Amino acid sequence: MTVKVLIVDARPERSRALEQALHEAGFDVVTRANEHDDLYAIMTRVKPDAVIIDAALPSRDTLEHMGQLGRRFPKPMIMLAEEETPDLTREATSAGVSAYVVEDVQPALVRSMVNVAISSFEAHRALKGELTKTQTTLSQRRTIERAKSQLMETHAFSEDAAYQWLRKHAMNRRLTIHEVAQAVLASDDFES
Amino acid sequence: MNESQPPRCEWPLPERDTLTLGMLPLNDAAPLVVARERGFFAAHGLEVTLQVESSWAGLRDGMQLGLLDGAQMLPLMPLASTLGLDGRPTPVLSALTLNLGGNAITVSNALYASMQAADPEAMLQAPISARALAAVVRQRRAAGEPALRFASVYPFSSHHYQLRYWLAEGGVDPDRDLELRVVPPPLVAEQLEAGWLDGYCVGEPWNTLAARRESGRVLIGSHAIWQHGQEKVFAVREAWAEAYPMTHRAVLRALLEACAWLDAPAQRIEAARLMCEKGYLDVPPTVVEESMTAEGTPAPHGMSVFHRHAANFPWRSHLRWYAEQMRRWQHLEVAAPALEDCLVRCVRPDLFREAADDLGINYPLVDVKSEGEHMAEWSLEGSRGAIAMGSDRLLDGELFSGQDRG
Repeated sequence: MTVKVLIVDARPERSRALEQALHEAGFDVVTRANEHDDLYAIMTRVKPDAVIIDAALPSRDTLEHMGQLGRRFPKPMIMLAEEETPDLTREATSAGVSAYVVEDVQPALVRSMVNVAISSFEAHRALKGELTKTQTTLSQRRTIERAKSQLMETHAFSEDAAYQWLRKHAMNRRLTIHEVAQAVLASDDFES
Repeated sequence: MNESQPPRCEWPLPERDTLTLGMLPLNDAAPLVVARERGFFAAHGLEVTLQVESSWAGLRDGMQLGLLDGAQMLPLMPLASTLGLDGRPTPVLSALTLNLGGNAITVSNALYASMQAADPEAMLQAPISARALAAVVRQRRAAGEPALRFASVYPFSSHHYQLRYWLAEGGVDPDRDLELRVVPPPLVAEQLEAGWLDGYCVGEPWNTLAARRESGRVLIGSHAIWQHGQEKVFAVREAWAEAYPMTHRAVLRALLEACAWLDAPAQRIEAARLMCEKGYLDVPPTVVEESMTAEGTPAPHGMSVFHRHAANFPWRSHLRWYAEQMRRWQHLEVAAPALEDCLVRCVRPDLFREAADDLGINYPLVDVKSEGEHMAEWSLEGSRGAIAMGSDRLLDGELFSGQDRG
């Protein structure tokens, strides 16, 4: 059987590369989707045997729900009965890959598919230097800290005043603190 | 903290001092954020990294794979993990509740208008009944229109069962009359605007954010469905709790102190700041502040109770209520004795009491309480005198004894 795969990824370049790699490994990538597509409609239409999704996407929880709806929907790979599943899932997790598969896909094919996805995501990360979810939280925090330091220096603000300044601009522009901090760092003369 | 607090050096040392705990970007992760950023973990000898997960599925994987030492969880997740309904069968337990309440049900502006036209009287009720929705469902069926779509955040979520409770009370059969979906909270507002969803039940800050965008109307908060109902818990693997009992106890102490700190509304502004400033929650700060400080009677829709009314006590009957909801909708096919064993394993008031004793915090002497019996504040005997408890009223006036049905 040819395994029909759906890719869900917010990064088109990466998902194109993954599609190519999966195709070369003998998988049939039926479609690529991103976070803002209607996954219920796509899943019902294309009936994939497996889904590869960027682990940083909240939409994983939608796939969890579909997995509960019946046999024909792919289940999270951690539920596979194979002994080596936890190790493979752990490797996939650290590469930022999540996989869902229907029960009757052969374990060897699941391993092969997940390994292709891991390599593809890692290659992309090495190339682009993109951040994992945990690194993103830390990087946001550092951006906010740096913006505060800059404000404290240029305006002789206290730390609290620097935060209040960011907060005020966030409120006026309906932005998050991180977005205002980025704007501050991007231009020396950011003012309201 | 009162003066009877024992000196900290008397506490047994944690077996481990470096931990990674999982959370989702939600207001009710505040106890973990506060415990880390305000030094409560450090005061108990713990160096904690908070890992912000994007999905409940990711957090479950992290727990079951042992990548996380503990995590914020939905109340049903330890039970679902232990029974093998959610992921790999992995015994998970909770000895502390992080908060009570905080969710709300929102519908699109278009559905709100249809509900008003279909049954204006029901829409004047406070809280708003799903009766008007039932009328809209009948009209749509007669006109041959497709079922309305409602979302919650996860199959094993409090939101899912609170939504079903509200629907059923108004005469809507969620399985026959609607299409129920799971949509992550950061996406619900845009899906409501796009017309893919007609309504949803999510927690804060996501209801307040959607209300600010004017993409929908908030109909009812979770306190009006189940007053002071359990919302999130702190959970660990059973094997982890057995391997590191003193570490677990130290984490519980730190979280208890953080929850007590969060009880004062003024501190919650500070908590909102910590969530935004330290990179945990990438949402406009005023939205987080507004939703974090929601207070009052009747409870405004986003109100979370973090400590008062013995909020942190892990009531076995709270999880039993959720399990009963699963049973009601044929989502749980476990024989009563097996479920009872599981509830005893998954909810650990005994471990809570050890940590509370360390801090001299008053706690209930019983493990079970009734729900739907107290329409106003009431008093419960505690380890150090009476505890002022909150109402536990249920929307439909039901009385849930909290006891095993046998």
